[in-house]
Amino acid sequence: MSTEIWTEKYRPRRVNDVVGNREAKEKFLSWLKVWLAGKVPSKKAALLYGPPGCGKTTLVHAAAEEYNLEVIEMNASDVRTANALSRVIKTSIKERSLFGYKGKIVLLDEVDGINLREDIGALRAIESIISETIVPVVLTANNPWDPKLRSLRDKCLLIEFRPIPSYLELRVLRKICEREGIRASDDVLRAIIKRNKGDLRACINDLQAIAQGKKIITLEDLRLLGERSHQLSMFDIVRQVFLAKKCSEAKAVTLNPSFDYQMFMQYIHENLPYQYSMPEALAEAYDALSKADVIMGRIKKTQNWGLLPYALELMTAGVAIIKHKPRFRFVRYSFPEKLRILSKSKEYREKLDIVLEAIKKKCHLSKSKANIEILPYIMVIYEVNKEEGKKLLKWLGVSEKTFKEILDKRT
Amino acid sequence: MSESHEIELWVEKYRPKTLDEMIDQEEIVERLKRFVREKALPHLLFAGPPGTGKTTAALCLAHDLYGENWRANVLELNASDERGIQVIRERVKDYARTVALGEVPFKLVILDEADNMTSDAQQALRRMMEMYSRTARFCLIANYPSKIIEPIQSRCAIFRFQLLKKEDVFARLKYICEQESVKITEDGLEAIWEISGGDLRRAINTLQAAAALGGVVDEHAVYKVVGKVSPREIRELLKLALTGNFIKARSKLRELMAYYGLSGLDILKLIHREILSPKSELGLPEEAKVELIDLAGEINFRLVEGADEEIQLSAFLAKLALLGKKYL
Repeated sequence: MSTEIWTEKYRPRRVNDVVGNREAKEKFLSWLKVWLAGKVPSKKAALLYGPPGCGKTTLVHAAAEEYNLEVIEMNASDVRTANALSRVIKTSIKERSLFGYKGKIVLLDEVDGINLREDIGALRAIESIISETIVPVVLTANNPWDPKLRSLRDKCLLIEFRPIPSYLELRVLRKICEREGIRASDDVLRAIIKRNKGDLRACINDLQAIAQGKKIITLEDLRLLGERSHQLSMFDIVRQVFLAKKCSEAKAVTLNPSFDYQMFMQYIHENLPYQYSMPEALAEAYDALSKADVIMGRIKKTQNWGLLPYALELMTAGVAIIKHKPRFRFVRYSFPEKLRILSKSKEYREKLDIVLEAIKKKCHLSKSKANIEILPYIMVIYEVNKEEGKKLLKWLGVSEKTFKEILDKRT
Repeated sequence: MSESHEIELWVEKYRPKTLDEMIDQEEIVERLKRFVREKALPHLLFAGPPGTGKTTAALCLAHDLYGENWRANVLELNASDERGIQVIRERVKDYARTVALGEVPFKLVILDEADNMTSDAQQALRRMMEMYSRTARFCLIANYPSKIIEPIQSRCAIFRFQLLKKEDVFARLKYICEQESVKITEDGLEAIWEISGGDLRRAINTLQAAAALGGVVDEHAVYKVVGKVSPREIRELLKLALTGNFIKARSKLRELMAYYGLSGLDILKLIHREILSPKSELGLPEEAKVELIDLAGEINFRLVEGADEEIQLSAFLAKLALLGKKYL
């Protein structure tokens, strides 16, 4: 048996062998193929995000291998000052590959690991890399909704990765056992899978840890392994709050120094309806969250930070301790959809703004009123009477193309 | 419809250009005319519901004061669009620095939707009104005078615009129909009245959209158009929420905010309008409507006070599910 690390040894070499996340794979490949066709996609960088061990980096390497691209890689463990980045990467993004590669691909791993204080200017350096690059740039992150990544996010095509489903993980582990000549029952493999929650890398590492040098492994072997201490993700925090039976338990999550209440509110907002499907519970919990938000608004306006504890308690304990609390069920949580929609609809909203500005000029009212009191009528007129509608657009000085793009989104 | 004229929105085409052309708000118009004759003007506050002629009166006043060249002497601002009082201050400062052209010794600043200003911004506005009172007069326009701080109210002559009377609205609509060679029936007029109340802007817009269908404007045509105007999404959103389909309702909400460019308050207003619409298809009993109004009022308050509109409206949608369970 070789001493190679199995996660490397069994890292897929071809895109097809990367398990799970079919949609993400397709999205990534169609983006990459634009580059390979010698064109430049509208987003020059792709941000692959999702929990650890679900195949983000693996996919990039497999694709690079398959299409014969040279990977220029840096990750969070590298010293990532602006200088280091520029030195290593900027020189290479502007020149094409040597050594027989067909092209290059830049991979910046774990961008959410960037420490704002120590890696001064790193984010800005990444942004300038994206704007200057002539080769595909791929970023990975566990939590793309980190506020510090906001402006970076807008420049990237966002591709979500989800934890690998257990049946796929089981298939991978079985195959490794077969190749390594190990006899392991499905019970053992399932136990390994269960303790790693969709993190395939951790599963393979566990398997290697107990199986290295053995021919048969049992559940007994598994006991030797210590619990992998998971860094509390936002999902864990949300779950902890929903599980709480006392105010103090729920509030405890806010005591963690890295607790980010703004992010937390978005996560709890997103996942409330998944956890509380009963309308009574949902309404009660939302009422608490809404009150927490009112307090946040007051803090923003008055800078009275003395109010913060009340907001924190309402958004945790207020959500957890409700009259119609259902029994806890295990549900899969989601990233906040809101942030994604906002970045997706940005271009559209800019077009809408052009139209509203035109109406405002002609009709002496605010853009918000133009949106409600005038635009819908113009749309109806256009819909039922094209000729008349076109003339109105001419009068407004709005191109039919811009107008139709708005109309299409609304019907 | 007329062929020779340039096509424009009828609300603009038939907007009176001079005070003489204004057919409603007779007393107010009389007073304004006197100001014009004397070429003297206090600061003004026009208050009243939408579509009752406040902006029109201000523009007509400007026209009559300064003649055809009025635009050079008028600064038109909209408090909802200008980014903060700082921007307003800069623009007024630049503008009021020079003296008015012609016989009138002051310029006119029209500030529309002034009740959307925060009270801090209004305080700053108050100081501006004093600072530039030699060279400029302010005409503030608002739906709710109570949202204007008292020091400003006390510096202004307040004119309350009333909702237009049915016969005045009918007269205007009939006049426009004549000009545009559009046939309108009595039940068509009634339907427009029912939808718009005394809001002439909405009445004329509805008329134009119904006329665009190409036939006689009757009740049928009016309601056909109205059904298209109020976003279907609002109705769907309400239906989804009332039937307990929260997750879908919330996606709709997000769509409305992102793709319709609607603010939280906009959406709440549209919901409010939909609830009280005589043509509402929601099937809610009257007592449920009252409860809904109560809820909407509370959420309106929280929207203004709070930080995250989506959370506030989601909380509202979650409550709607309870209401739906109780009444539907």
